[in-house]
Amino acid sequence: MNSPQSHLKKHVWSYIFVMPMFVLFLCFTLYPLLASVRYTFYNWDGIGIPKDFVGVTHYVSIAQDLLFWNAFKNTFIYTAVLVPTQLTLALGLAMVLNSRWLRARPVFRAIFFSPVVTSSAIVGIVISLLTSTAGHDVNTMLLRLHLIERPIDWLGNPHTALWIIIVTGVWIGLGYPVIYFLAALQSVEQGLYDAAKVDGAGGFVLFWHITLPLIRPVGLVVLLITVLHSLRVFDIVQVMTRGGPYFATDVVGTYIYRQAFYANEVGGSDANLGFASAAAFFMGLLVMGISALQLAAIRYTAQQRKAG
Amino acid sequence: MKAFRQRRLFSQSVFHIALAVFGFLYMYPFLWMLSGSLKIGSEFLGGGLDLLPQRLMWQNYAEAWKTARFGIYFKNSVFVTVTSTLIIVILTSMAGYALARSNFPGKKLVIGSVLATMFLPRGYTIIPIFELVKHLRLLNTLWAVILVNAATGMVFNTFLFVGYFTTLPPELEEAAIIDGANFPTLYQRIALPLAKPMIGTVVLFEFIDSWNSFFIPLVFTLGRPDLRTVAVGMYAFVGQHSTNWTLMCAAATMSLLPTLILFFLLQRLFVEGVAGSIRG
Repeated sequence: MNSPQSHLKKHVWSYIFVMPMFVLFLCFTLYPLLASVRYTFYNWDGIGIPKDFVGVTHYVSIAQDLLFWNAFKNTFIYTAVLVPTQLTLALGLAMVLNSRWLRARPVFRAIFFSPVVTSSAIVGIVISLLTSTAGHDVNTMLLRLHLIERPIDWLGNPHTALWIIIVTGVWIGLGYPVIYFLAALQSVEQGLYDAAKVDGAGGFVLFWHITLPLIRPVGLVVLLITVLHSLRVFDIVQVMTRGGPYFATDVVGTYIYRQAFYANEVGGSDANLGFASAAAFFMGLLVMGISALQLAAIRYTAQQRKAG
Repeated sequence: MKAFRQRRLFSQSVFHIALAVFGFLYMYPFLWMLSGSLKIGSEFLGGGLDLLPQRLMWQNYAEAWKTARFGIYFKNSVFVTVTSTLIIVILTSMAGYALARSNFPGKKLVIGSVLATMFLPRGYTIIPIFELVKHLRLLNTLWAVILVNAATGMVFNTFLFVGYFTTLPPELEEAAIIDGANFPTLYQRIALPLAKPMIGTVVLFEFIDSWNSFFIPLVFTLGRPDLRTVAVGMYAFVGQHSTNWTLMCAAATMSLLPTLILFFLLQRLFVEGVAGSIRG
């Protein structure tokens, strides 16, 4: 059984089992990650081999580019508004969907998951039709309720466009945190609640002292995923506004895409993959900084809690 | 006691109604899209809030399928999605099994390098990927989309399977080893059948992901309109016929159906799988 030969044979199989995954990982995840760093030091339009070495010039121009910081600001607003809203809604919904007295649970569950399973590109198109002046829909409703005086082109107006995108983002992504919270809530022992109820604990106390601490680990993972996900927002913005009007909804994702493929379209310089890579890497560093701060904050509050 | 129960019954029904209203508003864009897909163009523009069309225009669907070439896009999407989901489930479950069950030399290196990439700053990796695909002579083929889709699904799902297989009791396999079963047999006959909830979860996640993926097929089909997937096709369609609203709604409805159906079929497995991976 445990002869070295059978041992080796077992390992041979392990290598065969891991190999395909690892090769794909090396080729399409690790290598591109490292290679994209190299491009950031070149002027390169994507044709042939990058030759025009420019050092850190791209990083300097990005750090000075007001449009980049505008895109960063929009991405930041998007994330800062979306994440707390979405997670609060998701936790509330998960608790409702988890309650034992709820009838027709599968139906409600399916309703609140449905935007998740749909393409954000397509949903973005539907929302832009719904909010446009031609569709007469959201506008008709608001006119009838006398909330507005004349139809508003929600996505064409620099003051409202980003907010429509944020609302859409919350709506599209809500299902994922709901699923994770629901799964976490289901693993909480019902006995804990029953015991606390016997001791006379009310709804809020139950929530604060039992539910919240028990789903905290899952909550932190969900928080990190949601933040990273919203910092990378691209699809819905590209489909709904392409960053317009007047860059009011331009996020880092659309900024980079424009630099890499369609710089000419908006009258900028020629497409420059080196510049685009530098912008992406620069954003990656900023995101890493934000994640580090986030982790530090989480650790700090955990320590405070232990001390307090 | 009876009054208390009645009051609770009352507040619960109010709750159900409130949730139903919220659910309706939540689903409204879908219902609006569905109704729009069955309207006549003029009715669509003038009808405003009416969800029910005067006459059901099923022709919109036929027209979207043929003239807007959604038949082709649909076929492309099905091919890409099914193939990349299969590749992901097979490769990540295999790798996950080996990483969970055996202590081969180099295991730490594999896990370490995979983990490290999750923390490295993400560059614009589409460009080196694009170059790599070009060297493989796969540019402007659906295989490029499949390969890249599948590759991006490797890391997360491998970890899901590692977590799941680690929680399975090893006794079952030990018995089979005594009966002379080798590694692939253990994986195929014992581990995989037990991993059904996890497989369901991964299939669902990846099917949705790859059906909806927009950026990768967008980039790899820029030169070949006939290879567009549904999501990219929708995007291009909006660019060209931005006034044909009812046709757009019909196309959108069709493109959302496969994932919605799959979700309903796999719903139970799915929540079980997520709960399992959280516990594990």
